[in-house]
Amino acid sequence: MSAVTLELFGDSAWRVPLATGRDPRALLDALRSIPHVVDAVVAEEHALVAFDAASPPLRDDVEAAVGRAFVPATRAPGREHTVPVRYDGLDLEEVARETRMTVHEVVALHEASEYVVATIGFMPGFAYLRGLDARLVLPRRSSPRARVPALAVGIAGPYAGIYPFASPGGWHLLGTAVGFTPFDARAGATLALGDRVRFVPVPP
Amino acid sequence: MSAILVTRVAGVAMVQDAGRPGHMHEGVPPGGALVPELLARANVAARNVPGAAAIESFGTLVLEAREDAFVAFDDGTARPLSAGTSLTIACEGARVRYVAVRGGLDVPELLGGRGTLLVASLGGHEGRPLRRGDLLRAGDAPRVDASMPSAPDLASPIRVVPGPDRRRFPDEALDLLLSSSFVVDARSDRVGVRLTGGPALPRLGSDSGPSSPMVRGAIQVPPSGMAVVLGPDHPTTGGYPVLATVITKDFGSLAARSPGARVRFVTQP
Repeated sequence: MSAVTLELFGDSAWRVPLATGRDPRALLDALRSIPHVVDAVVAEEHALVAFDAASPPLRDDVEAAVGRAFVPATRAPGREHTVPVRYDGLDLEEVARETRMTVHEVVALHEASEYVVATIGFMPGFAYLRGLDARLVLPRRSSPRARVPALAVGIAGPYAGIYPFASPGGWHLLGTAVGFTPFDARAGATLALGDRVRFVPVPP
Repeated sequence: MSAILVTRVAGVAMVQDAGRPGHMHEGVPPGGALVPELLARANVAARNVPGAAAIESFGTLVLEAREDAFVAFDDGTARPLSAGTSLTIACEGARVRYVAVRGGLDVPELLGGRGTLLVASLGGHEGRPLRRGDLLRAGDAPRVDASMPSAPDLASPIRVVPGPDRRRFPDEALDLLLSSSFVVDARSDRVGVRLTGGPALPRLGSDSGPSSPMVRGAIQVPPSGMAVVLGPDHPTTGGYPVLATVITKDFGSLAARSPGARVRFVTQP
C-alpha cells in the first residue's frame, strides 16, 4: 500500500491525492463516517475532508480510511438509473461534423454506453459520467455558452453529464433529459458516486 | 407571531443563515452568510442564536412590519418595529448588511439549512432573491443571550495557508501573491471574490485534468492569472489550480470588502 499524503487545504480541510484502483463510493462512505469530518468529497484524483478548524479529525482516521478503501470493493453495486433523452441538442450536428459521423451515429453511440458516476461536483446534483465512447471524446467548446438550459444532456472530454440547473457551460449539448430530476430540494442529488446510468432515446 | 413585508428592494437581498454543511458530496456548497460575523452580530442583537436565518442585503431594502416585530442589525443595534411602520436599510458603502428578526426568519429548513442557494433555486424564500410583496414570518425560537462578536477588520492582511497546488505554479507565484496588493472587483459575488489591480499570477501547465474538490477560501488562478477567492456558494469541484487558501477566521474580513477595496495576503503566522 502506498503512503497516504494529507495536503493542507486552508485550515479547515485536507486534500488527499488518490492512486487509481480505489472504490470511490467505499472511500466516500468511509471518510464521511469519521468523527469530526463535516464534509467529504471524492473526485477522480483527490478526496477532500472538511472540518471545523477548531476540532479536526484524527489524521490516522483519514489515512486508515483511504487505506481501507484501497481494498477491492465488497459493497453492493451502485444503483441503476435510466434517463430518457430527447436528442434535440444544439450541438448535435457540430459534434457529428467534428467526429466525422452522422447525427444518427452520434446518438447511437451516446445511448449505447453504460455510464458510471465518477464524481459529483460543479453544482448540486451534477454527475461526471465515465463510459463515453472514445469516438465521442472532444475538447470543451472553445467559447462556453452563457446559459445552458436545465436538463441539457452534454458531453465534454471523456465525460457525459446532465445539467441539473440552467448555468453557464462549455459542454457539447446532445439533448434534453425528460422526466428526470437530478436534484431535489428535500431529497438532494439523485445520482450518487458509483451509480450507473443509461440514456434511452425518446421521440422529439 | 411577527411578520414583515418587503416593500422595496434596490439591489439584491435574500435569506441566509449559518449554511448547509454536510452535502458537498451531492454538489451542494456549504453556503452560509457572506460575512459570518455580521450575520452573528445582527442575530445576537435580536437575541437569536448567531446562525439564525436573517436577511442578507446588497443595496437598499425597505421593510414594513405587518405585525409587531423586533428587528436588529449588523451594527449591533435593535429596535421594535410596530405594525404599519417602515424601515430602510441601505448599504451606504458597506458591502453587505444583515437584518435579523427576533425568533429568526421562518423559512423551510432544506438539507440542513435555511439559506438561499441561487444556482439551485434552493432554500430561503422560495429559492430566490427577495422582491417587493414578499411576506417574511418570524419563527418562535427561544430567546438566547450571547456575547456580541466583533465586526471584521476591513484593512488587515488576509491570512492564507499556501497550496495545495503549489506544483502547478512557478516558485515566484506565491511570492508575487504575498508581496502584491489587489483590488476587489465589482463582479464579485457569493460564488467568489474576484481580484484585479495586481499582477497576473503565473501558472505552469494546463487545466486539462479532472476536476478536484474545492473549498471556500481557495485562491483559484484561471489562465488569465486574475485570482478568484471562492465564496460560500462555490462550485464543489473545479479545474483551476489553487495557489493558497484563506483561513476560516478571515473569510468575513475578505468578503466584507466592497468593490475597489484593497486586499493583501500574508501567510498564517
